[in-house]
Amino acid sequence: MPATVHNDLLVYKGSNFFRQRLLLATLSGRTIKIEEIRSTHDDPGLREYEVSLIRLLDKVTNGTRVELSETGTSVYYQPGILVGGHVTHNCSTQRGMGYYLEVLLALGPFCKEPLNVVLQGVTHSDLDVSVDKIKTAALPVLLKFILVDDGLELKVVRRGAPPLGGGEVVFKCPVRRSLRPLQWTQWGLVKRIRGVVYALRVSPTMANRVVEAAKGVMLKFLPDVYINTDQCRGSNAGKSPGFGISLVAETNEKTYYCAEAKSTDVGTGDITLPEDLGRECAQRLLDEVYRAGAVDSSFQWLLALWMALGQKDVSECVVGPLSDYTITFLQHLKEFFGVMFKLEVQRSESDDEDSDDEGVTPASKIKMTCVGIGYVNISKRTL
Amino acid sequence: MADENVFDKKKSHRAKQAGRKAEKKKNKNKVDQSNLSARQRNPKAFAIQSAVRAERQFRRREDVIAKKQHIPQVDKTPLEPPPIVVAIVGPPRVGKTTLINNLIKSFIKTNVTNTNGPITIVTSKKRRITLIECNNDVNSMIDIAKCADLVLLLCDASFGFEMEIFEFLNICQVHGMPKIMGVLTHLDMIKNAKTLKTTKKTLKHRFWTEVYAGAKLFYLSGIIHGEYLRNEIKNLSRFISVMKFRPLSWRMTHAYVLADRLEDITSQELIRKDAKVNRDVVLYGYVRGVPLMKESSVHIAGVGDMKISELSYLPDPCPLPSSEKKRHLMERERQIYAPFSGVGGIVYDKDAVYIELQGSHSHKKEDEETNEKKALLKNVVETKETVDEQMQESGFQLFSGGAVIYPDMVKDDEYLQQNKKAESDSSDSEDEGNDSDNDSGIDEKKEKKNKLPWDNDNSDAGSDDEGDDNDDDNDDGEEMSVDGDDKDKGDMSDDDSDSDDEPQNDFGMKWKEKLGQKATEAYLQRQKTSKNIMKLVYGDFEIGNKGKKKDEESESEEEDKPNLRDWTSDTNKQYLINSFVTGKRSADEDASELLKLDDASDGEDEELYGDFEDLETGEKHKAEEDTETTAEPGSKRKAEPTKSEILDKKLKLKAKFDSEYDNPDDHRIKGDHSYYENLKAEALKQSELNKSVFDNLDNGLRVEVEGFRPGLYVRMLFKNMPSEFVTNFDSSYPILIGALNMAEQNIGFVSCKVKKHRWYKKILKTNDPLIISLGWRRFQTLPIYSKIEDDMKCRYLKYTPEHVTCNMHFYGPITPQNTGFLALQSVNNNPNEIKQVGFRIAATGSVNEINKSTQIVKKLKLIGTPLKIYKKTAFIKDMFTTTLEVAKFEGARVKTVSGIRGQIKKALNKPEGAFRATFEDKILMSDIVFCRTWYKVDVTKFYAPVVNLLLPVGAKNAWQGMKTKGQLKREKNIKNDANLDSLYTEVNRAPKVFKPLVIPKNLQKGLPYRFKPKEKSTTLSGTNPKDKFKNRIAVIKNPEEQKISNVMKMLKTNYEKKKEVQKAATALRLEKHKKQLEEEEWRKLKRQKELKKKICRHLSKTGNKNKTQM
Repeated sequence: MPATVHNDLLVYKGSNFFRQRLLLATLSGRTIKIEEIRSTHDDPGLREYEVSLIRLLDKVTNGTRVELSETGTSVYYQPGILVGGHVTHNCSTQRGMGYYLEVLLALGPFCKEPLNVVLQGVTHSDLDVSVDKIKTAALPVLLKFILVDDGLELKVVRRGAPPLGGGEVVFKCPVRRSLRPLQWTQWGLVKRIRGVVYALRVSPTMANRVVEAAKGVMLKFLPDVYINTDQCRGSNAGKSPGFGISLVAETNEKTYYCAEAKSTDVGTGDITLPEDLGRECAQRLLDEVYRAGAVDSSFQWLLALWMALGQKDVSECVVGPLSDYTITFLQHLKEFFGVMFKLEVQRSESDDEDSDDEGVTPASKIKMTCVGIGYVNISKRTL
Repeated sequence: MADENVFDKKKSHRAKQAGRKAEKKKNKNKVDQSNLSARQRNPKAFAIQSAVRAERQFRRREDVIAKKQHIPQVDKTPLEPPPIVVAIVGPPRVGKTTLINNLIKSFIKTNVTNTNGPITIVTSKKRRITLIECNNDVNSMIDIAKCADLVLLLCDASFGFEMEIFEFLNICQVHGMPKIMGVLTHLDMIKNAKTLKTTKKTLKHRFWTEVYAGAKLFYLSGIIHGEYLRNEIKNLSRFISVMKFRPLSWRMTHAYVLADRLEDITSQELIRKDAKVNRDVVLYGYVRGVPLMKESSVHIAGVGDMKISELSYLPDPCPLPSSEKKRHLMERERQIYAPFSGVGGIVYDKDAVYIELQGSHSHKKEDEETNEKKALLKNVVETKETVDEQMQESGFQLFSGGAVIYPDMVKDDEYLQQNKKAESDSSDSEDEGNDSDNDSGIDEKKEKKNKLPWDNDNSDAGSDDEGDDNDDDNDDGEEMSVDGDDKDKGDMSDDDSDSDDEPQNDFGMKWKEKLGQKATEAYLQRQKTSKNIMKLVYGDFEIGNKGKKKDEESESEEEDKPNLRDWTSDTNKQYLINSFVTGKRSADEDASELLKLDDASDGEDEELYGDFEDLETGEKHKAEEDTETTAEPGSKRKAEPTKSEILDKKLKLKAKFDSEYDNPDDHRIKGDHSYYENLKAEALKQSELNKSVFDNLDNGLRVEVEGFRPGLYVRMLFKNMPSEFVTNFDSSYPILIGALNMAEQNIGFVSCKVKKHRWYKKILKTNDPLIISLGWRRFQTLPIYSKIEDDMKCRYLKYTPEHVTCNMHFYGPITPQNTGFLALQSVNNNPNEIKQVGFRIAATGSVNEINKSTQIVKKLKLIGTPLKIYKKTAFIKDMFTTTLEVAKFEGARVKTVSGIRGQIKKALNKPEGAFRATFEDKILMSDIVFCRTWYKVDVTKFYAPVVNLLLPVGAKNAWQGMKTKGQLKREKNIKNDANLDSLYTEVNRAPKVFKPLVIPKNLQKGLPYRFKPKEKSTTLSGTNPKDKFKNRIAVIKNPEEQKISNVMKMLKTNYEKKKEVQKAATALRLEKHKKQLEEEEWRKLKRQKELKKKICRHLSKTGNKNKTQM
């Protein structure tokens, strides 16, 4: 749904991509208005997790103005200056912490003070990427843009499974004046596979069974597989029982693919077998490896964002097939920043060769090229 | 003499024939010495003699190198750069217009009658310049300084440097120093040769201190027939055309346009109804700096922030000559474009066509070109149709002859749109034609449009057309499928069954015939796929086609969410196995392949490395040529496609190795500069990528992706411009359109460091309105000065300090950090005011920080007095007025004047505002208690852009914003009442009163007598001594005593009387006695006199007797 522009005010309709819009509005400094948020639903207006996101944005910014209509079906959002600093936020348990962390990750490099956020809530959720995935797959992407790691850190203090959560993470992010342009067209070959299995308030054997199953699949492809188990006890285990796995494939060009799976929530009545879980996660990872590209498919949008926010130079990256989320994100990027990507389906000679030789079709790769908009961190202080 | 010579001849040297030395020499001569370097001939001489010295030399060399290094910047100059802005600046009546005229004449050999606004001319095969004159207004000077690449700073030598020149130099420094060349004029006014020489010298040195030592200063020695000397102008123009420029940070991050043409396209009817109606204005100009994004908001200096509602590019009105291999510019390539001056071919207006004839002599040459022109003019003039219609038809003829007349002059909207479409969207529009088969009318239009020369002129457009034809059939979602890979040119011919497409295809084919190998297969394919995936993401970004987009999205979803495959099955495993390091690698990475290659190329290697040379001795070792062995691996190599690449790589490596180790001159020890070299290489790589990555993209798409790159001539439509901009338009004022980056259109609080200019006479006061030139903008705002304390607190300052920087906060546009700005108190060009102020630039500085709130504090002392004092606790009153206030300050530190510290504890309920405080010691009732706090000062939200371009023509330099309080008071003659405390009053001093000294009795007892207080002693209190006995006890005597005392009194009186009488008698007797004595004395004297007389008589008698006797 493209925006209508009224005198430099972007007006959107519907509750979709609420997070994207708020994020881009904050970065671009443009005022937005979102109307008709679930206006025809039985439960109209903003959900708790969305309000919580607005709260979080308010905490990391200065001078933000948010106006909600009485029914909560329309939001007027005028962003302020990104401040960052020490923030503690109690995330809504309706969504995972990834929902908030991704936003913070995108905003992090452009704050006035280095971000140091303590988030409390659900660390692993089906709807959102888990903190493990962000830690292993998204932080290296940011590292490519800021080059020097001075305090980029995501620490999982406590894990918390839905529905009650009780997890806690600490996220620290350094600030930069500008991001460097990035050329990332080679992603190399997978050289090692690592993983974490966590078991919260369940028998420790569960974790071991998951490890067995996942390893069983992965070892067929690569001998270098090592999966950790994280048996949480006491308060570290959060408030609800559950277990899950996240697997990371690292290539020799520092690309990380990550897949994860978790048990069904308590109270739904379904039972998850640990073996199934392990196998499923491994399959997902292989799927991710098949899709390939410079970044994990769930963080394509982050890559696109940082490419667009670079200096006025050309960045080019090759990613796997674009996800829906990325496609809408690219559309939003164009609306907020006026930046358009040159996208082309890439065919390298070797690919052609392969297809001739063995009849194997690799997933289509898309080369994203864009000129950065020359975004500079206007919040940072110079002395 | 000759004989002597014969005798004196020494025995000649006989070289040794055998022995050690002869051996040595023989060995040496074996090698040809002629082409060896000194080092090779005599290696010992170049050996290190002293390690310390070598170390020092090395260190020095490294220092010199390090000093030369700069952080490498990505070079962003486009392939076809925009014209260089050459600004001619100087005080009035210094010869600016004359210089422009002369320069134009020297460059393009034509006279221009009136120069107004920017004038673009082609000066050489690779350079164009835009000349612009700066009028004598500080607003123009600021705008010019922001956009000029080169400044010719004119100065009247007979007068010397004027304040304007220094002001301008300062403005330049703040906004990014362009290249500056000084030009001294009026040198012929100085008659005396010696004065001339000294003037030149002093002016030169003054100029150098301002710009940099060695800055170029030109001398224009005089005027002949109203023109400067020809060779001097020639020299100057040569300097201009070879000048090199450094990138300036602001302009390397912001796009800008110096408008050289303006059209008002508001409908005449609206204007007739209301002359003040907001106008739709079109501005034209070259994009400079960085690419201009389509949807960016801009600031028009002197007008305000605007949104570009329509942006399109036009063919260059003043193009660089095509790359023919000639040394000089041809006559017709020396072009000039200056719409404001009315120069530059044909100007199409709303209802008329203006044709500029290039001076009178241009008619004389009747070459092919002029004939063509004439024919063309005839066409234009004789036609009975409207301009639009005529253009439709005559376009082709018009432009086939070459780029003589510029189609961008076409101003009609409909036409332009078409034009734009033709250029940017030609490809997709055709797609549309195919997909929705109803609008055949559009297709027809397109036919016509394709004929227009400015599409087909450039090869790109032609190849685009080809690409489009190719596109036609596969935008139905094929883009995502990889199977479509091997679609290639074959598609183009076989696919189209639509009847609509036929003519187009033919057209495309025709073009292909003409253009030959312009578009390669790969290019077509890439074009096709990129188009489609982009369409998938961005929809039909060029032409709206909504229904289509939805279909594609749904398809994409299918693609994006493949069902989870069972990767463990063998068939599926095949897909993946090569993605792991354990799988098969591509040929150029596989170690075994590489090894094989190495083996294969060994034969070659032998050849490559066979020849080597011992440098120390210069000996050459030659390998036997073995052609057969080299031939074999060569043939083998052809089987492996990557082998040749690898060989290339090897050759490169070898060349690098050779250059590093075989270069005979570089035997010095060198430092490691790899870090710097890497940075440089990275920047270079990036700049190459920037230039090349969009090269073969069609222009419309390229503009979408990259923005309007610098060098393009663009047309910008602004809607709702104030009507004054058009009605009060004055072309002598530059119209600078600067693009704003993200968030720069917002307003916030800007914190910056600022220093009052040392030449500015007054100091600046907080909250006095100040005009600031920051970024593209000029605006008035109310600044607050402050000082950053050690704890990073901003302490309010009422005035700027002298000679040091201070902090300044103001409410204004958000601008990136480190951007320079300058401040003026007025931009009014009132000569009286200028004379009074002298130097107008009040302060300079740079931005530190942006925020949405400020934290400036002012010191505040709250004063209270004790109400009641206990031991160390005291009740304090008068500090606060309410309990609530006290509650806010609970725990705050307080202090008495005497330095006793304490703390506020709790409020008392009576009296209101009093509180209990504890101190480290007992305080006195007379003590005053302080509470030191900070009071937050708010920055006034006032921001007013200087809108001098909207003012009437004569008064553009008289913008008046908010006045300072002082100004208003002076104008209205308001005088402050003097502070009562400062008034003089009579001093009435009460006499000092001292308390009596009281000595305690105990102490008195112990004192020695002389220190004991005496009754008689004068008192400190100053009581009258007569009253001393006042409070003595009265003595009452009994009769006996009374009698006695009476008798005693009588006796005493008697005695006193007696004494008195006696005294009188004595006095009398004494008198008598005195007289008696006197008489006696007198008698005695008389007797003595007589005796003397007698004696003298006797003596004289006896003397006489003696005389006679003798």
